[in-house]
Amino acid sequence: MMRLYEQFQDLVLGVASLLVLVVVWQLVVELGLVNPFFVSKPTLVATEMASQLNSGILLRHTVATLHALVLSFGLAAGVGIGLGLLAGWFRDVESALDPFIWFKYSAPTIAFYPLFIAWLGYGLPTIVAIAFLFALTPIYANTVSAIRNVDANLVRAARSFGARPHDIFLRVAIPGSIPMIVAGLRLGVGRALTGVVVAELFGSTEGLGYAVGFYGQKLQTTPMMVIIVVVVILGVLLTQLLSRFEAATSFWRTGS
Amino acid sequence: MIIGMTSVVLFLLAWQFAPVLGLINGRFTSQPSEVVKTAAIVLASPEFWMHARISLLEFGLGFVLAILFSIPLGILLGTSRLARQLLDPPLMALYIAPNIVLLPIIIVWLGIGVGSKVAIVFLGAIFPIIVNTMAGMREADWQLIRLCRSFGGTQLDVFRRVLFPSSLPAILLGIRLAVGRAVLGVVVAELYASQAGIGYQITTYGQSMRVDYLLVYVLAVSIFGYSLTQGVRKIEDRLQRWRPVR
Repeated sequence: MMRLYEQFQDLVLGVASLLVLVVVWQLVVELGLVNPFFVSKPTLVATEMASQLNSGILLRHTVATLHALVLSFGLAAGVGIGLGLLAGWFRDVESALDPFIWFKYSAPTIAFYPLFIAWLGYGLPTIVAIAFLFALTPIYANTVSAIRNVDANLVRAARSFGARPHDIFLRVAIPGSIPMIVAGLRLGVGRALTGVVVAELFGSTEGLGYAVGFYGQKLQTTPMMVIIVVVVILGVLLTQLLSRFEAATSFWRTGS
Repeated sequence: MIIGMTSVVLFLLAWQFAPVLGLINGRFTSQPSEVVKTAAIVLASPEFWMHARISLLEFGLGFVLAILFSIPLGILLGTSRLARQLLDPPLMALYIAPNIVLLPIIIVWLGIGVGSKVAIVFLGAIFPIIVNTMAGMREADWQLIRLCRSFGGTQLDVFRRVLFPSSLPAILLGIRLAVGRAVLGVVVAELYASQAGIGYQITTYGQSMRVDYLLVYVLAVSIFGYSLTQGVRKIEDRLQRWRPVR
């Protein structure tokens, strides 16, 4: 009962703080403390959002972003988990890949966008490539360390019952690493969204990143705020979705 | 180690000879030998250091401000339940969302000069530090806190002698994670709109397809981000040393 109340309290206070934020935003503009040219105001943003929804333009940009996101995230998940499994199981593969992963991790991927445009062309392929590289690292890194850190006792138990290496891989290592791989996917989806939005900002004619840059160049803060709100909501929804998935894949574990 | 070296050498050889053999168009990929030659020219030019100084200034200002702002806020969130309940949802939403999406509106607010870059670095860096400081505070050992209290420690003593030292590794982890986001922030912001800085140079060379120059500048940024991350990791290790092994 107490727990229920606590959860309820978290939700109430969280929603309350968001509401206060919106009210303060509206008030500082209404009282003339801040110029609406710079920050717009919630009522204007709501009206603008409704009109963008009606005209279908918001939907078009969101769909374009989601399209690129699904492609790049799918690719990153496939390649990241695949390479991660290999590198986690075979130490040589990890040492061979390590320098490249380190470089990729510390290099600002987005700086390569002129090259990607030259190699792959303007628009979707470049966006997918950049977002793919953004999302790859956490998925790969989590998969490697998940396979590495599989419970040694389970491996020993399986081996003493006559399991061969590929049995251990399929029946112990992979099931044991799923929660951590899914955690990598959750981190990856956020980074993929960042990648898509950043890449759209630079080389695209549609999508949320393009839209926010477009309105920015026209100094229209209200439609910019609409896009920012949509991106924030999208980020929260996607991460929540993966968190649910994460909880669902580790429910059978006993607490440890 | 040997395998890692071999794979790098193989990659460099393939990159060097693929354009020669006509497998790929060298105009779009350059060659390692070209990149090395260009690196010598670039590093000797005062131009590079001028742009590097500007980017470094933007990064440094934004990062120091972020540390000064986020550690106290993280401490507040870690020690006060009410503050956490009120501020956690908006903070989390902003942490998850790509804060680069704010770049165009920040440029409207602060212009295309140093200010907007400092703001983007700041925004990129604060969330990992806040979240990790908060987590560090909350994961402090309850027994140590109780021990401190029963020996007559005040609230301040508890904070100074238990909470802060025990959350220091988490705070440093936050700072380390923030480095990557801040470096990305400064480069993206300069690529998007600027008049100077490493990112500005990258756009210029990218648009004129000077792949060798572009790669040298990108490498410079990578080495900077990598060394800083490793530096923070060193400090983490050093601070970790006195801890008993659990």
